[in-house]
Amino acid sequence: MSGADHNSWSEDLGAYMLGALEPGEAETFTRHLEGCERCQAELRWLQPALHSLPESVERREPPPRLRESLMAEVRGEAERAAGAERVKHRRTLFPAWLLKPAAGLAVVALLVAGVIGYEVGKDDGSDGGPTTIERQVDGIGVKMVQEGSGGTLQLSNLPQVPADKVLEAWVEREGEVEAVPALLVPDRDGHAETTIADMSGVDVVMVTEEPRGGSEAPTGEPIMSMTVQ
Amino acid sequence: MIGAMAVKRQRAERLADEELMPLVGGKDPEAFEVLYDRHGGVAYSLAYRIVGDRTAAEEVTQEAFISVWRSGARFDAARGSVRSWLLSIVRNRAIDFLRSKAGKAPKLDFDDDSALEQRPARERTEEEALRRETAAELRGALGKLPGEQSKVIELAYFGGFSHSEIARILGLPMGTVKGRMRLGLEKIRGELAEGLA
Repeated sequence: MSGADHNSWSEDLGAYMLGALEPGEAETFTRHLEGCERCQAELRWLQPALHSLPESVERREPPPRLRESLMAEVRGEAERAAGAERVKHRRTLFPAWLLKPAAGLAVVALLVAGVIGYEVGKDDGSDGGPTTIERQVDGIGVKMVQEGSGGTLQLSNLPQVPADKVLEAWVEREGEVEAVPALLVPDRDGHAETTIADMSGVDVVMVTEEPRGGSEAPTGEPIMSMTVQ
Repeated sequence: MIGAMAVKRQRAERLADEELMPLVGGKDPEAFEVLYDRHGGVAYSLAYRIVGDRTAAEEVTQEAFISVWRSGARFDAARGSVRSWLLSIVRNRAIDFLRSKAGKAPKLDFDDDSALEQRPARERTEEEALRRETAAELRGALGKLPGEQSKVIELAYFGGFSHSEIARILGLPMGTVKGRMRLGLEKIRGELAEGLA
């Protein structure tokens, strides 16, 4: 490219940097710039001048409400993003179909490694009778009685739940979590009980606190999680 | 909880802008807050300079920072500083705002700024004070340009007009307008280079 040819590009550079070329011209210039080291060098040289323009304006103090409003929006989004991340994490643990509405009964779950419990007693049913597992899990008394294909989950020493909350139970079977179709409300002595119709293949039983009426997706960590195999 | 936020904020304050951006991209409100505290003033000032109205300037600044919050990961350090990137976003938003309000004329001189310079302003940091000094020098550099050059640069940068629109406004050939833009930027660059020498 001759010097005279290049001059026309060079002349456009200022308008290009100021965003003052027409859209078609700007696209043409961008394509030229990609292959023209001379224009690239000129652009790099002039860039500080362009960047100085916004610095040249007289400073005004932004109103405090701008910062407050901005940070409220940002913190709100950050909290929602963190919440979504928690749900996403749970969904990786539970198949999506399990988190779909379960006739208004939602359930909860989460298997938690490291839930500390100790076995109080166990009757393995080797005599053909019911199998009973009793444990203390994080201060909650858990008695799981299995008979035939079903079972009964009996809980004691439960904390009282607020009036707008209920307890919901889940079972984990072959790595998949299923709802137990019952909501639990502790009585005044902290007892609650529910029946699990099909205990075949269940590895873990869990309970979580949920809003009254149940949840469609887990909203909290389990207050109790116990292996039953 | 408040303690944890304060600690995060203190950590963020020790980071350079370029180091803050990955945190902002990771949705760290404290990192974002530091970014706003460093650049919110100039961003708002730029927005006000372009749109000429406090409420609109707030709106533009808020939109620009929210855009940064949502797209922080897109910042490319190879293409310039965080501040320049952020201010280019503010400028583009403000120009879009102007264009959406058809018929709004940009300001063409620094008279208002000179008057405002008399107002006391809170200087948070030495860096900010230095920036204010630099800004004053830059206003000087821009002010030293021949009026014909500063006018086309202002119309383009602060008014969002294309070179052909400016040619029509000023009754000049388009080539003349483009030449003045180029010459004006060169002169500002020369002033900056002298200032650094």
